Amino acid sequence: MNALAGIVQIAGVVLAPLLTGSIQTLKARLQGRRGPSALQPYRTLRRLWRKSAVDPEGTGVIYRLAPPLVAACMLVALAIVPVGGRGGGFGLGNDALVLVGLLALARFALAAAAWDTGSGFALMASARELMISVFGEALLVLALLLAALPAHSTGLQAMSAAAAGGHIWSAPAHWCGALAFALVILVETGRQPIDNPDTHLELTMIHEGPLLEYGGRDLALLQWAAAARHWVVLVLGAELFLPHTGGFAASLGLLAAGVAVLCGSLALVETAQAKMRILRVPALVGVGCAIALAGAGMWVGGIGT
Amino acid sequence: MGALDAVALAGAATVALGGLLAATSGGLRCGLAVQATGMALLGFDGIAVLTGGDALGAAFRSTIAPALGLDPLSGFFLAVLALTAVPTLVFARDYLPASPGARGVGTLTAAFLLALVGVLTARDVTSFLAFWELMTLIPAAAILVARRDQAVRSAVYAYLAITHLGGAGVWIALLTLAHHGALGDPSALAAAGGGAQTLVALTALIGFGTKAGFIPLHAWLPRAHPVAPAHLSALMSGMMIKVALYGLIRVEFQWLGATPRWLGLALLAVGLLSSLGGVLWALVQHDLKRLLAYHSIENVGIIALGLGASLLFADAGKTTWAAIAFAAALLHVANHAIFKALLFLGAGTLERAVGSLDLDHLGGLLRRMPWAGGAFLIGAMAIAGLPPLNGFASEWLVLQSLLHVAFYRPLGVALAGALALAGLAATAALALLCFAKVVGLVLLGRPRRAECAAAVEPPIGMRAGMLALAAMCVALGLVPGLVLPTLTALAPGAHGAVLARHAGLVLPGTGSFPSLTLALALAVLTTLLIAVRGKRRAAATATWACGQPVVAALDWTSAGFTKPLRLVLEALLRPRRAIEVKRDGAIVQSISYTGHVPSLLDAALYEPIARAGLRAAAVARRLQSGNVRTYAAYLLGLVIALLVLARSGVLG
Repeated sequence: MNALAGIVQIAGVVLAPLLTGSIQTLKARLQGRRGPSALQPYRTLRRLWRKSAVDPEGTGVIYRLAPPLVAACMLVALAIVPVGGRGGGFGLGNDALVLVGLLALARFALAAAAWDTGSGFALMASARELMISVFGEALLVLALLLAALPAHSTGLQAMSAAAAGGHIWSAPAHWCGALAFALVILVETGRQPIDNPDTHLELTMIHEGPLLEYGGRDLALLQWAAAARHWVVLVLGAELFLPHTGGFAASLGLLAAGVAVLCGSLALVETAQAKMRILRVPALVGVGCAIALAGAGMWVGGIGT
Repeated sequence: MGALDAVALAGAATVALGGLLAATSGGLRCGLAVQATGMALLGFDGIAVLTGGDALGAAFRSTIAPALGLDPLSGFFLAVLALTAVPTLVFARDYLPASPGARGVGTLTAAFLLALVGVLTARDVTSFLAFWELMTLIPAAAILVARRDQAVRSAVYAYLAITHLGGAGVWIALLTLAHHGALGDPSALAAAGGGAQTLVALTALIGFGTKAGFIPLHAWLPRAHPVAPAHLSALMSGMMIKVALYGLIRVEFQWLGATPRWLGLALLAVGLLSSLGGVLWALVQHDLKRLLAYHSIENVGIIALGLGASLLFADAGKTTWAAIAFAAALLHVANHAIFKALLFLGAGTLERAVGSLDLDHLGGLLRRMPWAGGAFLIGAMAIAGLPPLNGFASEWLVLQSLLHVAFYRPLGVALAGALALAGLAATAALALLCFAKVVGLVLLGRPRRAECAAAVEPPIGMRAGMLALAAMCVALGLVPGLVLPTLTALAPGAHGAVLARHAGLVLPGTGSFPSLTLALALAVLTTLLIAVRGKRRAAATATWACGQPVVAALDWTSAGFTKPLRLVLEALLRPRRAIEVKRDGAIVQSISYTGHVPSLLDAALYEPIARAGLRAAAVARRLQSGNVRTYAAYLLGLVIALLVLARSGVLG
């Protein structure tokens, strides 16, 4: 079963762009457009792979190293996040806080690359992304804490196992955790109302901004990494905060359903909700933190457990 | 006398000899090399005692007869001191000769190192306090020898004033301990009762906390550390504040005879305040050394968080996690000493190379100084808490400790743990933001001044010192698990091996952090992806600026990069800005902008105190009329008062 889980984890490498593609398709349908096919991200990647890269004047090794490093961080993250409560046993552990570190390393690499280009647009976006991440990271660890409380462990597999079954839903802390993690998903994937992934206006970009100077295979790697980021947080959300069972096969099925539901919800939120003013984002994330802290208090206080 | 005692004495004597040699004309470089040898000997002793577990020399005693000795906890700090001091001294061999007052500073360096060693090895209250005061005074002297301008003098004055006022707490704590015979004997203070314990705990927290740079007692640190010569800044930020933490650990963890819950909570609060406050004000600095000094406050805060968590675990009876949290704090002590020394040496190198540390006037230095710049990059990534470097390993441990605090009742303690956890996560993200900015402004992009474009690698000794420290950052990041069991054994209440030895960090109640495998996986995958990307076909273009030519005026600045955060936290940071527009008639001739973020605590806490002090001094000055007759009247009054007192029998 662990081998099978490992195969699914590796399949994430191929399946991740499908998530972003299907969100775009769903969103288009919800907005009354036909929209691109769900396979569009694969076509984009193929097209980019054939093109030559771009080297802005004055850039050096950091600019060139960033795309492979960011993609490598995401590959390791894919191997850490369990599927169906299990992992392939790649010897990388499955610790929640290590995952936080990997996401931070990817963020740093992109910010450094933005500085290497010296592009005002890239740096503006990078500064905003890092500002949001200050609040986002606090929310992320608090959401992870809520999932770790029932398991008494920060191992992602143990956390997933502890959240299996229907019993956990009687604890209000779990609801708080689910709510907090929903916000984490919005922040980490860079979707509305935090960021608009479809924007083509440099001044409003957040996650896309540091990618602005890249082209060709560099951009392909970074776009894949953005898709893999969707996979990591959506699978994690489904594993920790959506209903699942202790059995592997059933869990895997519920995971697929859960990720599909999350993609649908993201499309729905993007359709219904306009992008919010960036200076309001910290307040929104702060509310999430307060909910998560309240949840932790309720769990330790023994309410509903 | 055993072999290790002899090595220790030889080491100390060698450092002293090196100090004397440095004072002779032409002997500076040789003297610094001799000092490095002596520190290496002392470090060897420290490691031997740390791993062997047997104490050297005298044990702690409450008498006033001077005594020196070494036990595993002192051994750990001594080893860390040597690990940072030896590369720093190697660096100083090529750095110091070109500085003003070089010979004097060289000698004072040796004296400073001996004072640090003295605090760590003092086994009685007199020598501890003597070395403690020397440790405070010598860097002040060294700074004044190296630089004589008014600004520096006022910084040194603030340093001495604040550390001495706060340092009174150390005297009270230690003399109280000695009074109760409690140095090295936790049962003695427990017998003395809760009042004495509270007094000692509080005064030690204030006294050692001032020297460690806890907010709100930190105001001296960002003033004094940046003005010292680079190698002394490295030792001050790397080790001096750690020696203060050593004192704190001794008193609060070993001699108090209790683990009061309020002390654990107080350490969490102080740690949270220091880490968040330190990094927030670091972000808005424009001077690299000042920025680094604020980051020392942040890291001391992280260490305090680990120590606080350890006390709370001990209070809850969770001995394994108490030991892990304690070890996490100690590991961060070592890690911060290493990467902060590296960063300060890097700052010194940059200052030497380009003549300024104003962040907005550097740039493009990684390409021009690949070795020194590369080492600086590793230090910056380590302090930003990025895997797979050492900063992440210890921050991961502290985060895990805080997260596990949140598992246990009582509710208030659990919530404090959760709050501290969120605060530390935000601190880590802020540190990332700050060092992304530093790396970008200093190392990457285009050079912003002619001096930066012409910068070259520093001499071999300076490079070697930095590279050795960078190698330690990598090594401790790859295999922190080899050190951790030794550190958990130092925790009070830890009996025997708490953890098995692995390369990575394998702890109960975590998903484990196999640092070595993880680093290998990252390296292999990155290499693989570079190979897959293949031979680079790239078009060289100008950076996109909406079709405009890219000119220097478009360069992004330090203030620009932190602008979103300053806007969000405007209520807290209270930035001040002034825009001056010069017009000639209706035509704008020039626009100049100045902005800075004042330190909130300086304005809210220190300035009122300083004003009150000055007012009190003005009142007291009225006694000094300068008139001889008034002074004669004072004398007469005094004599009469004494006579009256003697007559009434008050004086016995």
